[in-house]
Amino acid sequence: MTYLFDPSNWEWLVSGNNFRFLLEGFSINLQIAAVAMVISLALGLTLALLRISKLPLISVPAGIWIDVWRNLPVILVILYIWVVMPKSWASTYEDVVPGFASEALQSGLVLAGLIALVLYNSAVLAEIMRSGILSLERGQSDAAYALGLTYLQAMRRVILPQGLRRMVPATVSQLITLNKDTTLVSIIAIQEVVRHGRILSTSGVFFGEVQAPVLQVFIAIGLMFIAVNLLLSRLSRRLEIRERKRTAIKARRVTGVEDQVAAETDLVTGR
Amino acid sequence: MNELWEVFSEHLPEFTSGFWVTCRLVAISLVIAMSVGTLIATLRVAPSVWLNRIGGVYVEFFRNIPLLVLLIISFAGLRRAGVPISPWVAGTASLGLYTAAFIAEALRSGVFAVGRGQIDAALSLGLTYPRVIRRIIIPQAFRTVIPAIGSLVIAMIKNSAIIGVSLVALPDLLAQARVVNAETFQANETFFWAAAGYLILTVAATFLFRYLESRYRIRR
Repeated sequence: MTYLFDPSNWEWLVSGNNFRFLLEGFSINLQIAAVAMVISLALGLTLALLRISKLPLISVPAGIWIDVWRNLPVILVILYIWVVMPKSWASTYEDVVPGFASEALQSGLVLAGLIALVLYNSAVLAEIMRSGILSLERGQSDAAYALGLTYLQAMRRVILPQGLRRMVPATVSQLITLNKDTTLVSIIAIQEVVRHGRILSTSGVFFGEVQAPVLQVFIAIGLMFIAVNLLLSRLSRRLEIRERKRTAIKARRVTGVEDQVAAETDLVTGR
Repeated sequence: MNELWEVFSEHLPEFTSGFWVTCRLVAISLVIAMSVGTLIATLRVAPSVWLNRIGGVYVEFFRNIPLLVLLIISFAGLRRAGVPISPWVAGTASLGLYTAAFIAEALRSGVFAVGRGQIDAALSLGLTYPRVIRRIIIPQAFRTVIPAIGSLVIAMIKNSAIIGVSLVALPDLLAQARVVNAETFQANETFFWAAAGYLILTVAATFLFRYLESRYRIRR
């Protein structure tokens, strides 16, 4: 305890630009999470629609695809993609990545990390969206078809606006998980916050006059994640409560994995 | 196809020892997660604002911190601070305490599903609060949250793979697969078998919890 709170062990935080160095790393994590989330949402919706198709030829392969990627450890997927991704993909990525992206994101390695995170998260999101869509009463789609809407119109105007609204809390929970998972790309040598923390705690002398102990550095990194993730969960609760007031119905909750359990709990108790 | 079996038969010792390490990791962490999770859930629902807050801080801390960061804190961090923590203790404690936060939240929702009326009734019958928890709340809460705990256990099996590739470096299934891959350069075959190992565990957990769910269903 005395070691943990000893001021001399925290001096590194204010000396040199150590703290800025950590924040720069952390922003790489947030950027990776944001890009992976946007792609996963689009791909997840596509997968969910394929999965609920009435043609077994489409729905069965989509179901297998989703179940495989959803049930593998995300770190295994990251390592696998990193090993098998052709070098040409990495160099193509380095050519097309926009110049304004930060230096760490210019590396071809980032593509491997992004592909792996998208494979995993799109499968999880597809499952969340599928249960969101299926949680609608059948009457909704029947009524839409009876009114003469085509499949696409019914989806766009009736089913998706209602179904997707129900999955907002589950999606935000998944975003929190994704945020935490971005630290795993440090294993494949992407220069993000964990790598920056390791650099700081092994060679603090470069960045300031004082040593940066690894315990304190990584507690600081952990607190950064906690701050952002708490903010996200507060936001999703706000949205959910507003939505419930607006529609004046008790929203049916959509289940997913891990964090969803927690998100649901908060909804049940309203705390 | 032949190569698939070749990699498997030639490196069977690595795969089985890795699989065994992963099994032990998961088993020990599960015990920690369930016991600490139950304790924290009890704090979360206790009739004292301060106890609730302590439980809340625990949950928000461990739920929102990346497991990899937790592993580095508990292994490299504590060692640097002079605590001679072993890889096994660091790995299982990190995974266990991390999962405990989610278990606690699941149990809390189970407790709220029990209903205030039953708790009031038990208290007015003269049961003490600890007894109410043990005899009335926990038996029912656990049953309602069996499916939720099932999905948390599956997530925990998957998260256990992080321990082997982090600084803690226990020779678990994924770590062994990396060793095999470095020897053979047959990534597709090697990772296929590692994935199969994790799928065996997650599928087994799925069936186990499906059985528990039907076995302990509350008939209302």
